Amino acid sequence: MGKQPKTPEPERRTTRSAASISPAPTPSKPSAPPKTPEVSSSLRHLLSGFPGRKSQILDLIRLIGPLNSPSLPLLLYGNASTGKTSTVLKVLEHLNRPFVYVSCRSCHNPRILFETVLSQLGSSHKQCKKMPDFLNYLREALAERNKEMVFLVFDSIESVRSWDTGSKVLSLLLTLYDKLQNDGAGLLYISRSTPDAYLLRFGSFQPIDLCFPDYTFEEIHSILMRNQANPKLYSSFLSVVLKPFTRVTRRIDELASALDPLYKKYCEPLTDSTITPDEAMKRRLFDYVQPHLIAALNQTFTIPPRALKDKSGIKRQGSGIGNATGLRELDFHMSVSAKYLLISAFLASRNPATLDAALFDSTGGCVGRKRKRKSSQSSIDKNNTKAEEMLTKGPGTFPLERLLAIFQCITSVLEEDSSLNEEKALENSIGLMSDVLLQLSTLCNSNFLCKSGNCPLEGSVRYRSMIDEDMALKVARSVNFPLSNYVYRR
Amino acid sequence: MAKHQSSPEGASSQGANSPDANQTLEPFFVLHKAQPQATVGEKLSRSGKGRERGSKSSPKSPGKFKRTPSDEQSSGTLYEQWRLKAFNETWSKIESSIEGVLRDINLKLFNEVLQWVEESFSEIKSNVKLSSSEIQQPYPLVNDTLCRKIPTAFVLTKNAEFVDDIKTFCDLGMHLKSNRCHVANMSTLDFSIKYRVGGSIRSLLRQLHSEPLDIADVLTLAKWYCEGENYVKPIVVMIDDMERCNPDVLGNFITMLSEWVMKIPIFFIMGVATTVEAPRNLLPSNALQHLDPCMLTLGTPSDRMNALVESVLVRLCYNFSLGHKVTLFLRNYFLRHDGTITSFISALKLACSKHFSLESVSFLCLYLLDKDYELIFFSSLYNYLNIQCLFEVARYSKMQFLDIFCEATDPEMYSMSCSDSTSKKPIKCGAKNSSEMLSSGVGSIARAIHTIREMPVTALSNLLNTWNIHTEKMTEINGEVKKLQSLVTTNEGKVYDENLPNIRKRTISLLSGKGNSPNEKVAMLLDAMIRKYMKPTECMALHEIICFRDVDVLRSGLIGDSRKTIQLDLLKCQSYLSCSCCSSDAMSLSPSMHDTSIMYKLAQEYGDVINLYEWYQSFKNVLTSASQTPKKKRHLSPASKKAKTLPPSAIEALIQARFCEAVTELQITGLLRMPSKRRPDFVQRIAFGL
Repeated sequence: MGKQPKTPEPERRTTRSAASISPAPTPSKPSAPPKTPEVSSSLRHLLSGFPGRKSQILDLIRLIGPLNSPSLPLLLYGNASTGKTSTVLKVLEHLNRPFVYVSCRSCHNPRILFETVLSQLGSSHKQCKKMPDFLNYLREALAERNKEMVFLVFDSIESVRSWDTGSKVLSLLLTLYDKLQNDGAGLLYISRSTPDAYLLRFGSFQPIDLCFPDYTFEEIHSILMRNQANPKLYSSFLSVVLKPFTRVTRRIDELASALDPLYKKYCEPLTDSTITPDEAMKRRLFDYVQPHLIAALNQTFTIPPRALKDKSGIKRQGSGIGNATGLRELDFHMSVSAKYLLISAFLASRNPATLDAALFDSTGGCVGRKRKRKSSQSSIDKNNTKAEEMLTKGPGTFPLERLLAIFQCITSVLEEDSSLNEEKALENSIGLMSDVLLQLSTLCNSNFLCKSGNCPLEGSVRYRSMIDEDMALKVARSVNFPLSNYVYRR
Repeated sequence: MAKHQSSPEGASSQGANSPDANQTLEPFFVLHKAQPQATVGEKLSRSGKGRERGSKSSPKSPGKFKRTPSDEQSSGTLYEQWRLKAFNETWSKIESSIEGVLRDINLKLFNEVLQWVEESFSEIKSNVKLSSSEIQQPYPLVNDTLCRKIPTAFVLTKNAEFVDDIKTFCDLGMHLKSNRCHVANMSTLDFSIKYRVGGSIRSLLRQLHSEPLDIADVLTLAKWYCEGENYVKPIVVMIDDMERCNPDVLGNFITMLSEWVMKIPIFFIMGVATTVEAPRNLLPSNALQHLDPCMLTLGTPSDRMNALVESVLVRLCYNFSLGHKVTLFLRNYFLRHDGTITSFISALKLACSKHFSLESVSFLCLYLLDKDYELIFFSSLYNYLNIQCLFEVARYSKMQFLDIFCEATDPEMYSMSCSDSTSKKPIKCGAKNSSEMLSSGVGSIARAIHTIREMPVTALSNLLNTWNIHTEKMTEINGEVKKLQSLVTTNEGKVYDENLPNIRKRTISLLSGKGNSPNEKVAMLLDAMIRKYMKPTECMALHEIICFRDVDVLRSGLIGDSRKTIQLDLLKCQSYLSCSCCSSDAMSLSPSMHDTSIMYKLAQEYGDVINLYEWYQSFKNVLTSASQTPKKKRHLSPASKKAKTLPPSAIEALIQARFCEAVTELQITGLLRMPSKRRPDFVQRIAFGL
């Protein structure tokens, strides 16, 4: 109450009614300049907290209107992490309005949603499962407040759709304005999807939408610059890294989590973190961070090994290089028969089925296979398009029988080879074939294979190998299997 | 069994030495007297009826047992009891030792996890201080944090099979719980598509909350967290096998919890079975960005295996050891089929139980005191110490202990080296490098010896230090080791002022030239030790008491051929049912046989596809033809009894129903595939031959 009156009421009322006539979220620019001198210090503080959101905040304040005056439902939409929720919460706090907040993502069914709303309104009803009940209880609870306005904030309403009765609940939420006419509730919806997703049936009141656009480069810069211990250093860091990263993503949360470790790297050579960098130092720091920069751009999610506190940066770097070489080998345990099964699954997904007979003939493989055909330009082109097609199609599916046939071929070749020396033959006395189906379920569990169709009795289950060629090569290397001889290229 | 003759000698010597001869004399006396008895027992147990006999005969207390066995049955029971007791004692000893070893291995990781939780928790606590009313607010905290992240530890279990780690994660949960953490142990089932994210949060709350809940949401969790003592502890959510969870549900769960991350300190510990990339491949990106990851590694299965071999297999003090073939079989089983410690242990248990139930003299180990043990198996101690020395080398070169142990138990190798020892020829391996040796199939012991020749000086002196500890009881060798130690330390001093490449050159030149470098000497010593002391258990006298060698029993126990058994059983069902009406002839068909068996026998006549109509006709023929001709047999089976009073159409329907049931049974046993849409009249046979 005390914070609020900075603008005379009649003027405000006209703007709000103007907005209600034309529901487009036009930030009324001509009216903005005369207001700026009247902006109170608390509002200025609010605006400074949200760089690039000035027009949205002012619109929101305007649309919410003065205390205890009825207000129209609002739909705030925009991409993820554009400051929707925090803006709404801060504005309501700034205006000192009572509100009820419920995030549809935290609730996973309508009952929890209803009960969360009711309990925040101080309703005495403990259980509320059905939509009509909710409406009745809500009216009761609002009536008890004696016309004191309360804002109902429904956050991330797009996630309601994925519930079992999602569409019904969603339409109930969106038509609350019609149903609670003059009951003293302001409605604020926050969504990631655009208003088109929430078109209501004819006749009900469409919420006024307010767009939160993506941040521009300058806005991102100023948001990231907030609360930095050493602004000069950080700004020199941003000048290096922000450009390439904003080309990849404009989401603040993604940027922040990507830049954080990079900034730590950037500061690594510095002994004094409060230092103000000069040109030469900036250059040196850039040279230092550049290799990491390229790596970070290509990676969305990395899991660093837990670094012990006493370890120095140099040592950690060393381990990083070790990891790079370690990538050549398979770094987890898998039984030999599972490895062969995985290789055969990879081959079955990768090679066309018609080629199996040629690859795995009676001699057990393509030892003497040579391709001598001379290829003309047109056939090369044809092959190229075929290869592209194969890439876009992804790995193929195969029935269990084909997998087992290839597995049998591969292992029989192996046993032939190893029977040359006696000791190995003895070791082979347990065949690899005995519990292949168990190994298959292991591979499915670890997401190396994926399975379509779920009835095992039907027999029409098809599998698909989910591993990439690098992984397959690693597995093949660990059992000394000449995988490249069997992979069909073009 | 031929070695039994030497038993009186052992008994007499022990009787003289032991102070409490009265106690220990008895079993030896029994052995001596009852030797023919023992062979009888052996025969019986070999034919697999020993246990039945034992259960049939009335149990007699050992106290009433007369030494001159008048009653064969009672003595058989007594042996059974002794064997059972021996097995129980031995296995409990082995089991507790295995548990100890595995616990020690895991403890390092557990402490690391705990440290991580504590560090992150104190960091969060120092950053954000909230009152309980603030925590219970339904709306998120608006502050300047740009990205809400849940600290997450990905524990790489390094094994595609997950069985071993279920227990590890349970233990980890207990460990954390006892160290001031709230722990919720969630499994794959909590993240199923059926119950969605509601199921996951319910399961989480159920584990934290003591009383059952009507409604499960994060707000309830926040309320619970503010109650009393709960507030000071972090909440650790453990998901043991992340890769098997439904990615959408898990992703939803993460985003839901991430909205509360400032208020409720939640930590994830997720087990990843395969590669580090697995979480990235699995989870949606909006869930991933709410994770603040770090990676922890569990010991690899081969590390654990090494520890097991070192502590259980090599040591003879458990009165149980494995023969060469059994060891080889277990090794192959581990490497090729399963790769889990759990199944290795169960295989070991199976071997142990088979040993005590099949080997007639196995129970004797109960009555062996340490002293007798040393007397009988005096060479086993030296053998054990010797293998320990070999393991030290293997540890340096990262070889598998199981490989070395396999070779060390090989009796052929032993006899070969025995014959060699007269000619004093050292184990040759030329100047190859180790990778070449690996491919050329040189034995792992030879490789180990070769490793010593290439070892740098510091590693060599470390090795000698460990040897010095191991060989304390072998005075002769210990002297040699000490001598070498002093030699190496003086050499080390000399070498230190040169730089590294020179050391290398020098070692190589010494190696190829005079052959008296410290490395060469140490290698020679190990070689001599192996020749002199390494003696497989199988080559010792009286090894039958402790050594299990029957690999075929183990194989049939572990790799049962279930499908073959099903087929055989279906073909020979009359022998199982021991039915009077069916003839003993395997291929003849009678209507009183089991339907499925009739069907399967009929199916033998077809190729890989069976025409359903023909099959049905022949099935019907078998049933009806018999019911027409031998009128007397009809009364035996209840189905035909009913059929007498039924009209023909009902009989037809009954036969059809029986036909369908039998086909379904065959399908469920995996011998048959149902007709496809393309060929609706045909079923496909899946299993052929036996």
